Amino acid sequence: MSLPILGRMAIALSMSAAIVLPTAAFAETLSIFARASSSNAAQHMVDLWNTSHDDKIELTTIPDNQMVTKLATSVQAGDVPDLISFDLIFMPDFMRAGFLTDLTDQLSADPNQAKVAQAFRDLATYEGKLYGTGFTPDVSILLYNKDLFRKAGLDPESPPKTLAQLEEYATKIRESDPNAYGYYFSGSCGGCNIFTQAPMMWASGAKLLPASGDDTPMDGTGVREVLQMLQNMWKNGVIPESAEADTGSNFQATFETGIIGMQGSGGFAIASLKTNHPEIDFGIAPLPGVEQGQASSFVGGDVIAIPTGAKHPDIALEFIRWQLSDEAQLEALAKNFILPSRTDLADNDYFKAEPRYITTAQAVGIGQTPWAFHFNDMVNADQSPWLTMLQTAIFDGDIDGAIEGARETMKAIAAQ
Amino acid sequence: MGSALSKNQGFLYILPALLFVAFFVFWPLGQLVYISLTDTSLLGGGKFIGLDNYIRAFEDKTFWRALWFTVRYTVVITPVLMGIGFGLALLTAPNRPLQQLTRATVFLPVVIGLGSSSLLWVWLFDQQVGLFNKFLVDIGVLAAPAVWFTKVDMALIAVTIAITWKVIGFGTILFVAGIQSINHEITEAALIDGANYWQRVWSIILPLSLRIILLTTLISVIGSMLAFDQFYLMTGGGPRGQTFTSVYWIYQNSFVSFKLGYGAALSIILTLIILVFASIQVALSNRSHA
Amino acid sequence: MTVLAEAAPRITTGDRGIARVAGEARGVRYLVGAACILVITLMLSPVVLSFLASLKTPAESSASPPSYLPHSLSLENYAKVYDWQAGLLTYVGNSLGVAAIAIVLCLALSVPTAYGLARFKIPFKEGWFILLLAPLMIPYQALLTPLYLTFSKIGLANSMLGLAIVHTVLQLPFSIYMMRNSFESIPREIEEAAVMDGSTTFQALRNIFLPLVTPGIVTVALFAFINSWNEFLSALIFMNKETSFTVPIMLTGVRAGRLGAVDWGSLQAGVIISILPCILIYLLLQKYYVSGFLSGAVK
Repeated sequence: MSLPILGRMAIALSMSAAIVLPTAAFAETLSIFARASSSNAAQHMVDLWNTSHDDKIELTTIPDNQMVTKLATSVQAGDVPDLISFDLIFMPDFMRAGFLTDLTDQLSADPNQAKVAQAFRDLATYEGKLYGTGFTPDVSILLYNKDLFRKAGLDPESPPKTLAQLEEYATKIRESDPNAYGYYFSGSCGGCNIFTQAPMMWASGAKLLPASGDDTPMDGTGVREVLQMLQNMWKNGVIPESAEADTGSNFQATFETGIIGMQGSGGFAIASLKTNHPEIDFGIAPLPGVEQGQASSFVGGDVIAIPTGAKHPDIALEFIRWQLSDEAQLEALAKNFILPSRTDLADNDYFKAEPRYITTAQAVGIGQTPWAFHFNDMVNADQSPWLTMLQTAIFDGDIDGAIEGARETMKAIAAQ
Repeated sequence: MGSALSKNQGFLYILPALLFVAFFVFWPLGQLVYISLTDTSLLGGGKFIGLDNYIRAFEDKTFWRALWFTVRYTVVITPVLMGIGFGLALLTAPNRPLQQLTRATVFLPVVIGLGSSSLLWVWLFDQQVGLFNKFLVDIGVLAAPAVWFTKVDMALIAVTIAITWKVIGFGTILFVAGIQSINHEITEAALIDGANYWQRVWSIILPLSLRIILLTTLISVIGSMLAFDQFYLMTGGGPRGQTFTSVYWIYQNSFVSFKLGYGAALSIILTLIILVFASIQVALSNRSHA
Repeated sequence: MTVLAEAAPRITTGDRGIARVAGEARGVRYLVGAACILVITLMLSPVVLSFLASLKTPAESSASPPSYLPHSLSLENYAKVYDWQAGLLTYVGNSLGVAAIAIVLCLALSVPTAYGLARFKIPFKEGWFILLLAPLMIPYQALLTPLYLTFSKIGLANSMLGLAIVHTVLQLPFSIYMMRNSFESIPREIEEAAVMDGSTTFQALRNIFLPLVTPGIVTVALFAFINSWNEFLSALIFMNKETSFTVPIMLTGVRAGRLGAVDWGSLQAGVIISILPCILIYLLLQKYYVSGFLSGAVK
């Protein structure tokens, strides 16, 4: 319980202490907000910092879908944390709104910053200025069940390299085992699918989200092809019926039941499968495109930034630079099988023990992240134009109408 | 105590609550009205735009579709809640141990939070991991586990089942109180006249419970018109936005699309609509008592 | 105010007219008993299934097809909830603290108000009453942002008191209604006796009315507790530190996986943990509770 009077007394006392003992070291306590789903990773970083620094950082986890609201109300009330770790797709909106502190001078000179994955550097840049950097990345990959591959007569060390192969393998798996399904995706979850289906589109050359009202959304090779593939698989029963209504709650759980041949997922799935389902022999591959040799991923996860009005911006910046150091990247992230933001550390000793992580780390190098305002509105929101396009094309069977509809709505949103 | 003194005294007693509500409800409500006349964004900034938000609201097809769905949901769930609630009240009104235990278990779901309860039912209804689905298959009602949330009607039924389970206890206890307070002289007189149970229910219990039934219906209707969490967590507005409720659409606009000003206007419109509904219902119920 | 216990036995004892009802009562009683058991089963089974699922290992939690009973028992889900971030006890402490303050505020406001509405002539009384009930009709999510900004200006943000005030705002209309009916069901004779003794209205309230409306007070307190305990959104907006968060925020965080994935095991453990205090309080206050509704809900 904080009463303003007590608070003021405490400040007065501590200030007088500072005057009396000017040489006394003054340990600060900083606060960081991190979203709940990445709080585990953030905790490792914060714990490592706290063991070696006098200034301590306190972590507060915010449920994912309340992060923006929480930050916005905090900024407006003038009561912000010193650091925030949040979904990188919000960067454009936050930068434009002036929520974040400009870190260009201090950060771009840092040699470690230059080694950070391109996607994070791009997302954190606005009008030539740098407002943050990568913190706890994650990347999308294709997860597949090697046992189901074997059962279908497929080579478990040869995951599909094109969309056509993906469809073929999935169909074979379904045909070989009536209890198994070839493919899975969360059919009512916009965010899940921009993470896992969209990379197949831009691997083939498509550009999806409009950066401004003049761009054409959903443009180029890959959009139609991916939608067609998914529609075919749905019509042929290769995807379980429950996929249509899944708002994301079963994004991990369904593959973990062992009945799914392939599914787009993220690096986080590896640890969960190894701990909870050691009986599933799974493999990791990059998400394929239309042609051989085309592959991509969604480089996602959290960026870190300093909100405007933070009380300890200097120490906060120190933390941001520290977390890009070898020690932090390796001991806090790689050791715990979390992807480092720096691509030069993809091939580290910890990951060598589990080669599937190396594949994941390599996916960061070939991946993209769309830069757009109102990303949430266009993609992650319930009934967003992105999601509506997927559902109309795949479940309702109308691909052209779906693409047209998405284009129209997204252009309208981008024009705001 | 002169009547002038008691008038002032009475007012003094209600004054703290009035001040509390004035400061903590009506003052923010006033701010909300002001916000509704601007294009304030969640991310800050915004200028005065007069009634533009309201004009947009009238042309907003999704808002009216959401309102219509909310009304449809209210019309479906209210008789279910009142009917089953009253039936359960009749069943558990006597104060014998079995009935008291039944009353307690009927009330139990009321104490669970709406968020947890909604997710619990998402889990139960799930096609792959859901036990409710499995149960329906096991007892032969369904041939195979169903997907509940891809058709509006099924989704509405699923949410109705989940919410009925959660809130039925509230109405039941209110009705039980009403039934138990019926003067037993009236009941005895009816028994002497030879009335059987159902005649007693129809001629005595129902008419004397009318006031409590109308009050509970009113609270239930207002609550259903403001429904949000259950749809947010269970249907995600799907399929294709057909299960958005009014508050859900307000939430989407305010906190996802960042349009606080527009969301405020929608909130004001919704409150006025509910006020009209509620007034009509109160007027009708007063007339029925006159 | 009728006494509950008298009503039931009368019907099954006594003279011929009632005995005839007792004759047919045997078949009816079995039917009623069966209906009660059915109802108990229907109402309890989701909770029981949730409890059984909470004891499954995380691996088994997402098995398809699912099994009713766990194959192996595990407390992992509970351990995860217990150890989450600041630790379960911190969150429980915060929730209890806020709920306690909310109960006090609710009662402090609703009891005098109800007394005034029930017992005094006040100009525009029904108008004031409707004004006090009107907050029920406003979607409270819309009010939260302006309220939070105001609270932060006056220093009430990030405090248990501030959050308790918001919870009171949400509970007050119902509380006032309940207490008003409680007061109105007390016979006038008692009040007139107090007047003749020369007590002030305040003394009358304290010494005479309060003991009589205790069931109503307990009911209001119970509902204020339950609603404060389960409230999520204001708690999240108004608190800015993990160590000030309440149980619902913790539950939302502990079950959150990436991209909307739900950890079903944690959900179940969370549900069971969060309903336990409410059940305990409900059972303890059962006696007051039913008669509270009795006097409070019926006019």
